[in-house]
Amino acid sequence: MSEYKYKIVKSFVSELQRIFRDPGVMVIFIVATLAYPLIYKALYWNEQICDVPVAVVDLSNSPESRTFLHRWNASPDIRLTYSCTSMAEAEQLLREQKVHGIIYFPHDFARQLADPLGKAHISLYCDMSSFLYMKAIYLSCNQVMLESMRNIQIDRYEQMGMDKEFAWALVQDAPYTETALFTPTGGYGSFLIPAVLVLILHQTLLFGICMLGGTAREENEESYSFSSLIGRAGACFLIYYGLAAILLGFFPRLFDIPHIGSIGDILLLIAPYLLAVIFFSLCVSVFIRNRESGLVLLISTSLIFLFMAGISWPKEMIPSAWRYLSYFIPYTWGAHAFIHINSMGATLAQTSMEYTALWILAGGYMLLACGLFYLRKSALFRTSRPLPE
Amino acid sequence: MLVRELRMMFARPLYLFASVGVMLLSTFFFLTLMKGGAAEKMPMAVVDQDQTTISRRLIHEMQATPSVDIQLITNSYSEARDAMQKGKIYGIFVIREGFYRDLVSFKRPQIDFYVTNAYTVGGNTAYKQMLTMANLVSGAFQREVLRKKGMTDDVIMHRIQPIAIEGHMVANPWGNYSIYLVSTILPGILGLVCIMLTIFAIGFELKARTSHAWLRAAGGNYTIAMIGKLIPYTLIYLILGVGCHLILYRFVGFPVYGSTWRLMFGLLLFILAMEALGITMIGLLPTLRDALSIGALYSMLGFSLSGFTYPQMAMLPPVKALSYMEPLRHYYLIYVNEALMAAPVENSIPYMLALTLFMVASLCVAPRLHRALVYWNYPLK
Repeated sequence: MSEYKYKIVKSFVSELQRIFRDPGVMVIFIVATLAYPLIYKALYWNEQICDVPVAVVDLSNSPESRTFLHRWNASPDIRLTYSCTSMAEAEQLLREQKVHGIIYFPHDFARQLADPLGKAHISLYCDMSSFLYMKAIYLSCNQVMLESMRNIQIDRYEQMGMDKEFAWALVQDAPYTETALFTPTGGYGSFLIPAVLVLILHQTLLFGICMLGGTAREENEESYSFSSLIGRAGACFLIYYGLAAILLGFFPRLFDIPHIGSIGDILLLIAPYLLAVIFFSLCVSVFIRNRESGLVLLISTSLIFLFMAGISWPKEMIPSAWRYLSYFIPYTWGAHAFIHINSMGATLAQTSMEYTALWILAGGYMLLACGLFYLRKSALFRTSRPLPE
Repeated sequence: MLVRELRMMFARPLYLFASVGVMLLSTFFFLTLMKGGAAEKMPMAVVDQDQTTISRRLIHEMQATPSVDIQLITNSYSEARDAMQKGKIYGIFVIREGFYRDLVSFKRPQIDFYVTNAYTVGGNTAYKQMLTMANLVSGAFQREVLRKKGMTDDVIMHRIQPIAIEGHMVANPWGNYSIYLVSTILPGILGLVCIMLTIFAIGFELKARTSHAWLRAAGGNYTIAMIGKLIPYTLIYLILGVGCHLILYRFVGFPVYGSTWRLMFGLLLFILAMEALGITMIGLLPTLRDALSIGALYSMLGFSLSGFTYPQMAMLPPVKALSYMEPLRHYYLIYVNEALMAAPVENSIPYMLALTLFMVASLCVAPRLHRALVYWNYPLK
């Protein structure tokens, strides 16, 4: 038994040496892992998109439409940059991407408002090349519309001979408050960066371990014993535990990314996540023949894993076949668990489903890695048997 | 020369796996991923502390809308919050105790709703629906009061809603998320394939120390060597590019309001630009592994920098400057111009020129790469 322990320690130490002596692996393990979060933070620095340029086509040219525009322009989301005399002119601006939206008041806008039975229309055209444009334009316009509408309703009720107090109470009969929970700015970065942090750990481990495996295979230094499996996993775990603590624990606190979860829970979550990713990557690395081929083959999995996990596209909308497949990818569970704890303040107990799934994946992939290592070892033994003299 | 290249290409399964295999898988994945392309039936919770006929009718009406699915009706807010923290729901609609009583006595009871924005699409969908509901409640009650005053429904409707907004989603009237997402992601993945395989094909000659044999086969001429090496791969990429274009715009039927030929031309320029970028990378860093790592890191950023999710106008100035260095950004803008905006050709020409610049840039590293091929003056790994 003690000999066995010695073997594990030996392969653990030699794996650490191989990692630190290999500049390629170091670039992926350390530089990419630490630089990528900074780049993404810089990329999504502005949480909100504001001042989306909008063109105005005001055919009614009335005090009512001007008041509306004035109020709307006060909202931070949009900026009225062009005033056009015709729709064709505004469409041209949209086509040239000088504006991302058009607001159109028809001729009869003011007349309809003045008519106690009239209904005034506003047309809004949104550039769909990014959904964030539509969100900014549509929601801010809706807000102004609701405000203006209340004033008009009160006027109309008063005209009907209603008491002003009563008209006011009637219009505001059920006011509402809306609260965006968890991330106060509600920005794109606050939502995406936590998911990206978890993905960076997943993919750098995958690429790095495949590179280590491919190198060993090129240099005929492969070892597929159980002790080497544990030693290799241990070495990666040691390095990555520190990195993951920095990325998931401290990075959000340093860079003003939502972080309302308990850091203790996050540190507990990291353990099964890393183990699952490491054994998953070791399984994949068995099939990699060259040090570089892993990166070439697997680079596009980053996008597939991200979308399959159901973060940016809701998981309820993902076809069940892909959803079941995603359950086998450690990232799926790790990302949701981290978002629940870090961004939504859930406790580890509330995250028990994801947490348990990660341990199951870690155990499952360890067994699978053992099996693959065993098969690989026997294949190697067959091919490398010396020829009889 | 070509024979040598083709033999190398088919000797290693990697080349075909990493190009054709990856593209087939990605195309299949992204086209089947988004059923319908618009978020529907987003799970949410209603905290009904009022438990009157009006609150139940409200829940019933909300359940009837296609965008949300009420999965939890409870009278405890903390239970709903717990469900949200477990990731089961995206929004909570709270009807407080005494809502009905206060409503009929004009005490203006308040409705509260909460959304999570830790998940953007789900949160937004739930938000829009709850906002509509909150406004409907108000409208429904006004209607009741006015009816009692003896007005007809037609007259009432105009009083309740004196202004209406008609929303028009230009070029994507269905609000289909997958149209613009897949139209940029799939070419982006093809670009990844181009850059990685170009670096690999050239870099492997350096790594395996076979570059002398390669140059000999080309009669010692660097240009012929490069062209000969890249022709078979370029053909594969172009076939993949055209295939991707046909699948998206002919077979699946994503809209192209402008010129489909110019869009395809833009895609082909993009492929060549990504290949050229690969040559530039291996020319600057003639060690296979370094060039591959940098190439991977660089082109992955293209997906965010192209601005198809988070628009470029929101980026910081230095990041904005960086975004011009990504071919995917230029392709995305050609796509917007040609497919969505049906813009005149002058609008796309700057981006087509920018893509051509990447090809010109790759010529600058030619002397350096040539020296590396001849003298092997860079470390192996």
